[in-house]
This record gives sequence, structure tokens and C-alpha cells, in this order.
Amino acid sequence: MDSLTLDVVVRSISEVGGTVAFIVVGSIILELILFLIFKVILKSPHTLPIMLLGPAAFGMTVLIVYPLLWELNLSFTNMSLRRFGDKAQYTWIACQAKPENINFWLTDCLFKNYVDVFRLPVLKQVYFFPVFLRTVLWTFINMVFHLVGGTILAILLNQPIRGRGIYRTFLILPWAIPQVIAVLAWRGEFHFEYGFVNLMLVRLGLEQINWMTDPFWNFAAMCIVNIWLGIPFMMVILLGGLQSISSDYYEAAEIDGASGLQQFTNITIPLLRPVMTPAIVLGTIWTFNNFNVPFFINQFELETSDILVTALFRAAFQYNRYGFSAAFAFIIFIILLLYSIFYIWISDGLKEVYE
Amino acid sequence: MSVTTDSSNNDNAFQRFFRAKRGHSPFNRMLIHLALIISSIIAIYPVLRVLSVSLRPGDRLLSTSLAIIPSDATLNNYFVVITEKDFMLWLWNSLAITVSTAIIGVIFSSTSAYAFSRWRFPGRNTGMLFLLATQMIPAAMLMVPIYILAVKLGLLGTYRGLVIAYSVSSIPFSVWILKGYYDTIPRDLEEAALIDGANRITAFYRIILPLSTPALSVVFLFNFMQAWNDYLLARVLLANATEIWTWPLGLQALQGQFQTAWGQFAAASIMVMIPVVALFLYSSKYLISGLTAGGVKG
Amino acid sequence: MRKQILILSVLLLAVMMIAAQCGGGEAPAPEKEAPAPAAEEKAEEAAPAAEEMTITVWTKEGEADGGLPFLQSIADAYTAENPNVTLEIVNKDVEVLREDFQTAALAGNSPDLLFTVSDHAGPFTIAELIQPVEGLADLGQYVDSAVAAVKLDGKTWGVPASNGNHLMLLYNKDLVPEPPANTDELIAMAADLKGQDIIPLVFNQTEPFWMVPWLGGFGGSVFADDGVTPTLNTPEMAATLQFMHDIKFAEELIPAESDYDGSDTLFKEGKAAMIINGDWSVGGYTDTLGDKLGIARIPQVSATGNWPAPYTAGTFFMFPAELSGAKLDTAKDFVSFVTNEENQVKMVEELNRLPALKVALDDPAVTENDLLKGSADQMVVGVPMPTVLEMRCNWDSMKPELLAILSDTKAPEDAAAAMQTAADNCLLTLE
Repeated sequence: MDSLTLDVVVRSISEVGGTVAFIVVGSIILELILFLIFKVILKSPHTLPIMLLGPAAFGMTVLIVYPLLWELNLSFTNMSLRRFGDKAQYTWIACQAKPENINFWLTDCLFKNYVDVFRLPVLKQVYFFPVFLRTVLWTFINMVFHLVGGTILAILLNQPIRGRGIYRTFLILPWAIPQVIAVLAWRGEFHFEYGFVNLMLVRLGLEQINWMTDPFWNFAAMCIVNIWLGIPFMMVILLGGLQSISSDYYEAAEIDGASGLQQFTNITIPLLRPVMTPAIVLGTIWTFNNFNVPFFINQFELETSDILVTALFRAAFQYNRYGFSAAFAFIIFIILLLYSIFYIWISDGLKEVYE
Repeated sequence: MSVTTDSSNNDNAFQRFFRAKRGHSPFNRMLIHLALIISSIIAIYPVLRVLSVSLRPGDRLLSTSLAIIPSDATLNNYFVVITEKDFMLWLWNSLAITVSTAIIGVIFSSTSAYAFSRWRFPGRNTGMLFLLATQMIPAAMLMVPIYILAVKLGLLGTYRGLVIAYSVSSIPFSVWILKGYYDTIPRDLEEAALIDGANRITAFYRIILPLSTPALSVVFLFNFMQAWNDYLLARVLLANATEIWTWPLGLQALQGQFQTAWGQFAAASIMVMIPVVALFLYSSKYLISGLTAGGVKG
Repeated sequence: MRKQILILSVLLLAVMMIAAQCGGGEAPAPEKEAPAPAAEEKAEEAAPAAEEMTITVWTKEGEADGGLPFLQSIADAYTAENPNVTLEIVNKDVEVLREDFQTAALAGNSPDLLFTVSDHAGPFTIAELIQPVEGLADLGQYVDSAVAAVKLDGKTWGVPASNGNHLMLLYNKDLVPEPPANTDELIAMAADLKGQDIIPLVFNQTEPFWMVPWLGGFGGSVFADDGVTPTLNTPEMAATLQFMHDIKFAEELIPAESDYDGSDTLFKEGKAAMIINGDWSVGGYTDTLGDKLGIARIPQVSATGNWPAPYTAGTFFMFPAELSGAKLDTAKDFVSFVTNEENQVKMVEELNRLPALKVALDDPAVTENDLLKGSADQMVVGVPMPTVLEMRCNWDSMKPELLAILSDTKAPEDAAAAMQTAADNCLLTLE
């Protein structure tokens, strides 16, 4: 076994240092090349921003664009455990279709995996659309509670009371601790016999709940955990938003005789919108793509608790349907992309109305 | 608290705001405290339960007792994890990788965000949308190609591979946050410096960066958290190199097919929480302004 | 403040740079892990046996039951005898090991040896990732049932190191002086125990692995004789499901919702009298219950007179397909070292697992240990767990229906039919 000795520390520092040096030297070389190409040869007016972006863009191309293209290629192949690996036994799905059968060729050859996502079960028995709808429901429920919970806590924390710092510290904690650990801790709390939730229910004289086997309650458990995890982020964002709203608005409203509720809906909400838009887009994407919570809380692998990303994981790694799951992944990706474009477009439109 | 240059003004406005308009009656104040106390308990209770498991002798994950400190509490699990496992080595590796990741990530994203914030160059909007799009890629999807790439580049089982992968994957979110923040810094400041003879880079370094401390801390924190908590990438990129395993890989070894050493698992969990929580608390004063300033323009 | 941070980070960076310079020679060291494909292997083939080499072993053995430390200690002993060989023992949880091995093979970067469960033989042979072991070990010296567990397409795909991994009945002698011989006795005993507020029986209700012994007891099997066609919609399956339903809802032998950890805790705390669990758990129960722990066969099914037939498997060494030359020879040598008599007996003593080596079975460590005798006795009525890829479909199809039965939401016949449909659908996706 390896243990932590001075030797190890020195070695790892030198390696980390080497890595940093490697990256710095690499960036300098890259910058020089960019400078030569854009300034000296092309005489581009955008040389400086291009140089500023250079290292990040290079890294992203290698580490994100290349893998994406690899997956894209895979999504057109018939790769599975039987046609596996560098033996290159897998190929693009090919079949002889007559030219007049172009539709057939598209759905059963070129885009077979993509079409299969919609016409075959994505898991054992469940089809795409129920899982999709469940994912939408999951995202919606979570976002509503995150926003409501975050708003309430942010408003409470924005009150002039003692100990706000301490409360804030405690309330941020769910965000700060490693997610997997938090989720595993929560799973224990939903245990039928020993979990806190059921123990409390019994003490209150209620029936215990089958959190792990009952589809409805398992889904509820997932939501509870994720709401707990996500509220602090919203709370922090909204607290920042609240603190930046000038008191003049409220003073003016008070003079006009507006009630607290009116102030909230007419001043607070509209002025929070600019901070809420990016938070909602990011929050939605994170919730939609949340893997840890649905995967670990669903200990019994109920298909009724799977959302798209966990279904994707199972398709790829438990069933080894590589080509199919690559297509599946792209479909999820495209859905989210469309949503974001749509949302940003809508909210930008709204912004203009307010400005 | 506020990001703009007239922060002192705003702070005063704040205090006036609280004193003058929102003083609460003792009863209301009590209600607010009550609500906050209940919320705080809900927020920390699961952590306390982990603490409780870590103090129990044997591998008793479950117990009907609701006491946080069990009657037969022992620190044995901590002792075992520290002395008999390589836990300290894992923690050290995580720390080395995480800190260098966070630093590199901050450097690259701060410059990129500056380009996005101050120049209108071809492909700028597409670039921003692409950054957002990367947040939508299901992580599991990229594991296999990234592994193949690491093998080809000889980055498997090295600090280098992991640091590069983490730094790059943290760029999109960091750039979004920083770009939003830079947008709120008036251009006049740099232009004044340019007139004084400074060049763009000096202006960026002398003016923009110091003003962006809150956002930079937030980005540092996010990069740190992401690298510290990552399991998937570490699993594929470190593979055989047990001597540089990070803590999530080490903890995984405590979990068997059917059995888990829950006591040790919990003890280790508590210990890995400490650095992140400490960093979080330290930077929490920046967290609020750093995250939201980008969205607030009025 | 800001200045301080800046200075600090510059200092840190400088230290790193300097360290990088000093340690420059060492820095690329880990890259030896990186693939050094054909060239290196060829060099090794030609080189004498004493050449330095690293053998990477991926194992599913973890810390929880002492499997990992045990394997590490054997590896250390081997390195002491063969100082030129470095053994890297890497733990990967069972499913992780399978996924990662497939990924690694895809990149042409496999480890040198696998030490894992028999059911991995199925996927690995289909993807042609491992090689048959006929020429690599003298299979005749191992227990036949263990070798049979990894036989596919007429070839053997793993060298067994332990035998068993099977379920058995473990009981608390304070609560149950004599274990029940059949299910009628079990049910009769239960009434008495419930009177004392003791849960009669617990087991992991979430995994069909805990159901298949009963299926055997009712005379059923998950595959037809060809070993690949699922036969789940059978009267035997329906009877098994009915039985599972009845012990929960009619006889109330088992608690309302119970997973692995829950059952484990109930038994350890003395709140449950009996548990059905695998041989891997014996060590943990010996630690908590000591002499009070007893082991017996899972009680005979009174309705049929058959013994329940738990799946037996064990742990196996598998050789990646790409492994050849000197590395293969070393891996072979290490495997025969782990499975020699001395180390097999050591494994029995430390892990309470039954040895795969025939001669080790006669060692006093086995014959004079009551717990192991009970475990061996249970294994007599066990059947080797199917390792074909199709088994995955069976597991996945049985699981949701078993859960439905245990939450009283489906009739046994419907559940059995649903299992069959799901398995048939699943088979289509394996292509």
C-alpha cells in the first residue's frame, strides 16, 4: 500500500508543478502561434481577444469537441458488446434499400439508433416519452420548490435580525458538502425500519411509508432530496438580488400606500428577474441532468424513478447498447439546447420590455 | 456588498433601509428566528446523522436511536481510516489536484471571459451559446472517448491528465459567471487607464482583476468543488495509478458488492467535508455578490 | 488582503516550478502506466525472466470483508519471492470493474489480470476480451463445480480461487436453538418468535439473487436446458412468487421492507432470529455474534421436498485476451501462487471462504470449522450461477416483478408472465 510520506508529498508537488509549468509553456507557445497567424499574417483586428481565448478554446476543442464528434460517429453505428472494440467489428448501420425507399433508409439505416430511441423501450419496459415526461415533471417540481424555498429563505435572511451570518452558514451547508455523500446520507433516512422519516411518522402515530418500493413515494423521496440540495443555490442568488435592490423603490411604494404583497409582486419580483434568468436556466439544466439523486435514491432500480440521464447511463453501461445510447444522449442534449435557446430568447424579449 | 464602485453609498442605503423601514416587532422577530432555526435544522440534520454513524462502533449504518452522539461513541473509525487506510494520501492527492485545477481554471477563464465581455468578434454569440451547451452534455456520455483520448496522449494515470481535464471542464461555467461580472464594470475605468498610456493587458491586470475579486473567488470555489467532488473522471483517468488516487476513488473501495464499511465511510466523509465547507464559509461573503452581480445591472 | 493572496500564489507557483525542475527526472514516472503497446511486449518476450515488470490486477475485492487486504498480503508475499515483479492491486467495485474493463479494452489498454466474479465471464467472452485458461493452469486440481461455473462454449474462462459466494441460512443460537429443517418448521417456529417480538427471518428482499434458491426448491430454473432461453413464466416460478408473497403477507415471517443493510443490522442487533445471506458475510457475523452464530441449509420446501438451490460461484482469475509473453507467464505464476495449498488455507482462515483447491478442502482449517462445514453442506445442494450474458436479462426482468410481489401489487401468475415478456424483450437488445 502507498502511504503519505514526505517523499510522496515532494513527488506530487513536483508533478503538480510540472503540470502547471507544462500548461503555462504550452499556452505561451500557443499564444505565439496565434499571434503570428492573426497579427503578422492575417493582420486581424481581433488578435487580442483571440489570444485571450486561445488556451481555453484549444482545451475545449480537444476535451469536449473531439469526444462529442466521437460520440456522434458512434451514434450511427451498431456497436454493442457483440461488435466491440478496436477489432472494428462495428460499422455504420448499413442496409440495401432501394432509392425509392428513402424514408426506410433514413429510419432503419442511417438514423436507426435515433428512431429506435422513440420506438423501442429505452429501459426494460419503459419507452422514451414516459421517461421524458417524468423528467420534465421532476425538473418542474424541483425548480418550483427551489425558487419558492430560495425566495422565502432569502427574504428571511434579508431581515434585520441578529445571527443572520450563522443562519446563512447553516443554510448553505447542503450545497457545500459533497453531493454523493449527502445523497447516501439521505437514502439512509428513507430506510423503512431505521430511517429518520419513518421513525418520526411512527412517533406521530402514522403509518410507515415504503419509500424504496412504492413508485410514488420513491419519486417523492428523490424530489425531497433534490429540493434540499438545490435551495441554497437559489437562496444565495436571490439574496444577492435582494441586497442589490435599492430601498428607494420601497420607500416610494410605501408613500403610494402599496401593501407588502404589492411591493413584492411589483418591485421585488421584476427587479429579481435579471438574476433569476441565468439561475433558472442553469438550475433547470442541472436538475434535468442530475444523475446522483435519482440514481442513488432509487436503490431498488425502479423503472418508475428513472429520469433521462439515469436511463441513458443504464442503457450504455448496464446493457452495453453503445450505438443506441450515443443517439439517446444526443437527443437529450438537443432537447436541452432547444429549451435554453427558447428560454433565453423569451427572457431577452422580456428584458427589453422592462428596460 | 455591492459590486459597483459606489459601494459605500449602497451600504449606507442598506443600513438606512433596515433601520428605518423594516424594524420588526419582537413577536415577528421571534417568528423569523423560529423559521430560520427550523430551516437550519433541516439543512444540517443529514450531516449530523453521518457524524453519528461515524461515531458508532462496528458497521452499524442503521439504528432506531435518534441520538446524534451514540451512547457507545468512539473515534475508532477515524483512527482506522487515518492509520490503516491510505486516506491521508488520497486527501493529499485530491488537494494537490484540486488546488492546481482551481488556479489554472481561474487564469484561463478570467482571460477568456474578458475577451467575451469587451470585444465583439465574429463567433462571439455562438461561442457563448456553445459554452452554455456544454453544460447540457450528460457527463457519462463523454467518459469513453475521454478515456481513449487520455490513452492516446499518454495522460492516463497522471496528475497532469486530471488537472487538464478538470480545468477545461470548469471553463464554461466560470466564463459565464466572470463575463457577467466584467459586464458590470464600467468601461470608462479602463479607458482612463488606456489614455494614461497603459495597454489593454495592464489595464485588465491592474483594474479589472482587482475589482473582480468576488467573482474570481466564486469561480475558484466552484472549480475547487467540482474537482474535489468528482468521481467519474477520476475513475477513468486514474484507473491503475493507486498512488495518486483521489478520495472518491478511495472511499469507493470501502464499499463492497454487498457490504460496506459504513462506519469508516462516514468518518472519511466527515473529514472530506471539512476542506470544502471551510472554503465555502471563508468565501461566503464573496459568494453572494460574486454570483449575482452579473445579472444585476440597475 | 488581496495583495497577500497574490504574493502567496506567486510564491507557491515559484516553489512548484523549482520543485518541478528538481523533480524533473521523476515527473514522467507515472507514464509507465500509459500504454506501451506492441513494442514493450515484444521486448519482454525476448528478455530473460528476471526482467522488471509490473502486473496490474483489477479486483472486485474490497475493504469491507477483508478481501482486498488479504489479496494485497498475498501479492506482497509474491513480490518478496520475485523482487523483479511489482504487483499493482487495484480495487474496483463489481459493476465498475466490468464497465471499466470494457472501456479499457476499447482503448487497447487492459490491465494484466482480473480477479472477479464468475458472471463477468459472460460479457467478457462475448466481446472477446479474455482468453480461455485451459493451457494456463492445471484445472484438474480445482473443485469441479467451481471450474464448471466459468465454462462457456466448451471452454473454461477463469481460474477459481474460492468457491461458494452462495447464500445460506445463518441463525442466532440464542433465539433459534435448532435451525428449521423445512418450511413447515420454519413457519411453526415463526409464531413463537413473533410472540417474543423477534423477527423470524430477514434477507435482502430487493435482489432476485435471494429468490432464486426458492425457485430451485420449487423445482424451477431460470433457463431451459440449452442454458440461454429464459423460462420464467412457469408454474414453478408462480409457486415461488406465491411463497415469497405468503411468507411476507400471510405468515409475516419477514419485515415489511428490507434491503441488505437493513437485514444485516437487524440480525447483528439480535432483533432477527435468522438471516439468509452469503458466505462473504460470515466473518462479520462471527465478530458480532461469536459462538451464537450457526449455519445451516436454507430449509427444505415442504410442498415439494426439494432443497432450495442457491447459486454458487466464487472468485476467479481471468486473463485479458491481449496478455501474452513474459507478462502472461508472470500472471500465470502469480495465479498458481495465490491458489497453492498454503495460501488457500490462509484464505479459509482469514476470509471464511471455501477453497477452490481440492487438497485444501481436507485441511483441518476446513474440516474442523463448524461454520465452514455448514457452508459446505449448503453448497452441496447449490447450482452454478449461469454466466451467460442472457442472465443479465433474467436478473433485470425478475427484479421489478419480485418487488411488485413483495409490495402486494401483482398476482404471481401475472408477475411470472411479465418477467418472461421483459426477458424476451431484453434479449432483442443484446444483439
